[in-house]
Amino acid sequence: MTTDTTATASTADAPGSTSPGESAALSERLAEVWVGLEERLDRVPILRALAEGTVTIDDYRRLLFNLRQQVVDGSPWISRAASNFDIDHFTLRAAAITHAEEEHRDYLMLERDYVAIGGSLDELRAGRKNLGSEALSGYMFTYADRPNPVGLLGAMFIIEGLGAKRAAGWAARFQEVLGLADNQVHFMQYHQEADGAHTGDLQAILDSGIIDDAAADEIVRCAEVVARLYALQLEELDR
Amino acid sequence: MGTTASAYLTGFGRYLPGEPVDNDGIVARLGGDDPVTSRIRGMILDQNGIRQRHYALDEHGEPTELNEELAVKALRAALDDRGIRPDDLRMLATATTIGDVLVPGFASMVHGRLGGGPMQLLSASGVCASSLQALDAAVGKVKLGEHPRVAVVGSELASRSLRQRRFDGIRAGMDSHFLRWMLSDGAGAVVVEFQPHPTRPSLRVDWVRHVSLAHEHDVCMRAGMDGLEPEVGRTWQDVGIGDAEASGMFVLRQDVGVLDDLAGAGLREFEQLVDIGLVDVSHLDHVVCHYSTNAFRDLAFDGLRKRIPTLDTDRWFSNLETCGNTGAASIFIALEEAWRTGRFSPGETILLAVPESGRFSFAFAHLTVVAPPEPQGATT
Repeated sequence: MTTDTTATASTADAPGSTSPGESAALSERLAEVWVGLEERLDRVPILRALAEGTVTIDDYRRLLFNLRQQVVDGSPWISRAASNFDIDHFTLRAAAITHAEEEHRDYLMLERDYVAIGGSLDELRAGRKNLGSEALSGYMFTYADRPNPVGLLGAMFIIEGLGAKRAAGWAARFQEVLGLADNQVHFMQYHQEADGAHTGDLQAILDSGIIDDAAADEIVRCAEVVARLYALQLEELDR
Repeated sequence: MGTTASAYLTGFGRYLPGEPVDNDGIVARLGGDDPVTSRIRGMILDQNGIRQRHYALDEHGEPTELNEELAVKALRAALDDRGIRPDDLRMLATATTIGDVLVPGFASMVHGRLGGGPMQLLSASGVCASSLQALDAAVGKVKLGEHPRVAVVGSELASRSLRQRRFDGIRAGMDSHFLRWMLSDGAGAVVVEFQPHPTRPSLRVDWVRHVSLAHEHDVCMRAGMDGLEPEVGRTWQDVGIGDAEASGMFVLRQDVGVLDDLAGAGLREFEQLVDIGLVDVSHLDHVVCHYSTNAFRDLAFDGLRKRIPTLDTDRWFSNLETCGNTGAASIFIALEEAWRTGRFSPGETILLAVPESGRFSFAFAHLTVVAPPEPQGATT
């Protein structure tokens, strides 16, 4: 869901303005990070198997299992970030609060999919993060602890981008290869819609002129780290 | 309508209580050794062609097991065949004509005895076709992606209604003799999953259909009432139990005069499936048909051959002669044997057909034998 809180992000409460030209430059820098991520994802074993049609139901189960351990942390790190935006960053605080609220039940959808393909909810809930998820989650919480963690917009760009641009494609491909019902791929299907709305919100913020050069550098750096750690999470399944 | 999953039969089990009873061993269990009854029995056995069957009765005719025990043993056999445990099930669908108790439902009792975790239940009650009604519910849930694994069991303990004590002092016409020397006990079960068996062939369920023609037919097979119409105040629950028993309400009866109509109606339903394209007669490899006596086998077989000229006896499977008529269990008991004895090969198709005399209903299911998935290497 899009809310007007973010869609109408104003420049009035922003610390320092930028010109539209700088915003375009930031978009280009982020697009470059995205291209790098896509190239890396193409080499991730489970996604390669998915593309080649050799993926198994156990692979899908493992993927959900591994994602779940990090997804449950999603809303908490966004909330923590929200609490660290001061009043001068009200727009970002509001956006983070809204976003955290919207996502804090997402893991339940994933759990339902996991159960619908025969997984045990108890085992799923007793699971631990893999190496990549540990790194990703640790990084996000640490970053969110900073005062005014504007760079996290770069993390949002990657994570929401994956949901909006890739998840539904993965869902459709898992359905095609494994013969799964819609009821078994809710989590990935849903994220196309929800994260599409979120990336729209994000774009509005990036375009709003509230991002100065220093913030832009932080955002790009954070996007680079999160892109790498997210791929690591997919590479390190069960480890 | 979104995308649905497929449903596969991946495990098969059956349980037939006690040792097989040949035609000479029936009297010890069910009684009826007077000359008239013996003559009728001989005639009916000649007609139905059943050579052996099983009863959950000892050699004195006393019950040895509950219906729910038969069901659980068949389910355990199916789960073992698939290599899973009751904990792996999310739904159980049962079919039986008469459970052990009036309340609660049969599926509740079977689940209680089987164990496992929380699961959805369905108690399909009816007669023979309730087997495929239960299967249909299971397949529907699996295809919707709501349950990954479901077990279905058909189970019958008809012998309680066939024992001599049910017949003492009552007028037993052909309507009761016909069933008394035909029905017997047993259970058959299948496991339904959204993925094929990982290492061996499975049977994909393409569709299940059930249709009732009760709107245009009187009751044919019944118990619990006098005659063909239930009357207010006159069912077994209204009159005293002693009166109900004395008037033969606890005897299973069948209006044998309309059975030819039943066969004809069943063939018309089959023809419709062909006409609307659900059965492609040029690609139908096997027929597993439930029928009560060999007399109907010939009728059904001739009827099917009109539409499937290439159908020969090799493609037709029934184990009525060796396992008896076990009502709602019979189609699963037959399918289990056909499967276990290697009749099916990947790519072949199978039609299950179950006519039910109760009040004219018919159930069909179409299956395709699928090979196990290609083994895949680990992805990491």
